[in-house]
Amino acid sequence: MKTPVQDLETFSDNALMLKVKDGHLDTLGLLFERYKKPLFGFFYGMNKDPELSEDLVQNVFFRILKYRYLFRGEGDFKTWMFHIARNVNHDHYRKNKLGKAESVESWENRLGHDDAYSVQLQQDEEAKMLTLALGRLPADKREIILLSKYQEKKYKEIGEILGCSEGAVKVKVFRALQELKVVYQQLEKQM
Amino acid sequence: MEQERINGLVEKYNQGQAGPADIRLIEQLIEEGRIDLSQLAQLKQLDDLVMKFETPAPSADLDDNFYQMLKTVKQKNKRFSWSRFFAWPEFAPKLAFASVMLIIGFLGGYLFFPSPSSNKEVAELKDEVLQMKEMMMLSLLEKESATERLKAVSLTSEMSSVSDKVTNALLQTLNNDENINVRLEALEALKPFVRDSRIRSELVRSIGKQDSPLVQVALAELMVQLQEKSSVKELRKILENKNTPRDVKKQIEEGIKTMT
Repeated sequence: MKTPVQDLETFSDNALMLKVKDGHLDTLGLLFERYKKPLFGFFYGMNKDPELSEDLVQNVFFRILKYRYLFRGEGDFKTWMFHIARNVNHDHYRKNKLGKAESVESWENRLGHDDAYSVQLQQDEEAKMLTLALGRLPADKREIILLSKYQEKKYKEIGEILGCSEGAVKVKVFRALQELKVVYQQLEKQM
Repeated sequence: MEQERINGLVEKYNQGQAGPADIRLIEQLIEEGRIDLSQLAQLKQLDDLVMKFETPAPSADLDDNFYQMLKTVKQKNKRFSWSRFFAWPEFAPKLAFASVMLIIGFLGGYLFFPSPSSNKEVAELKDEVLQMKEMMMLSLLEKESATERLKAVSLTSEMSSVSDKVTNALLQTLNNDENINVRLEALEALKPFVRDSRIRSELVRSIGKQDSPLVQVALAELMVQLQEKSSVKELRKILENKNTPRDVKKQIEEGIKTMT
């Protein structure tokens, strides 16, 4: 026999979010379980700071709760969530004035100091190179690559998050991958 | 651009020979949806790597913090707070509902319970209409045409209440009108007001003034109906009159008998 929770697990993201909107706040837990990893991955990919990334994931879910009345259920929940995630990320850097001041060095330093994560990454040479290469990309290019990854290449939805057309998103992804390729090749040569 | 040229361009890019002009063209074709990103082999390899690349999992702290936050928000939600009650997104529909109900209430009140002032207005209006009807009736009674006078007399049946002016005019018509039908109609019109003793005595007095047997009989019948004993004297005068037809005398005699 299925329990009510098991039943809820088969619900679509939108159906769950509409329940949250109706005041069943516990249902947010299911959405949290579904998306905590991709969201963490997105933030971690952006700042390489696990603690900060966790805080930002928490902020995203806090905003989802706070602005739940704005969710109409017409669009995709995941798109709406990443839209919020992007705003949370921007707000964080605006508040801390880190956005432009952030250098590749500080970013790499953070990576070096974070032993638990770097050890895991060092085991995989390719992954380490990719992480380094991503870190050397400008924030907007890093963001589009991460959005493409966590939105599973749904360019139309990414367009909704960024406020541009599907074609424009594809060009952005192309340019970001082009630059990533160049950085990646440079790193390969250094190895 | 022909498909062959596009394929050539993609091939050139994949071999790493595309120049800046080629790149611009490729970007344009990507935007138009004529080149798919997956066709660009070198980039696809890197893209696949990005997609495959596993990010580390968040720590258990994230779970703890999230569920703690959820608990706090739920507790806050349970508590009633004026600021939340008046929070615009939730307050707006409440306010709209309350406004609509208020308007419906006012409308309902206005429609079903007219205000005293409007009641007064309606009464004044009714009074004015009545006065107009009376004036019309009195002026019609002056007309030469008997039909017009008949119309005037029948107008009183539409009036809920009448003034002494009207009843006097009707009594005068009953006593003096040259047309028998008009007189009979006037008697008919006076019937609703026979409770008034003044009108009853005027009717009794009217018996002696009538020369038409039809009106005399009608009056006698009315007196019987009213059991107006004071009329007997006047009725006897008709009996004494030589010109009174026999049938009329007989009817009046029977009437007097029922009254005495």
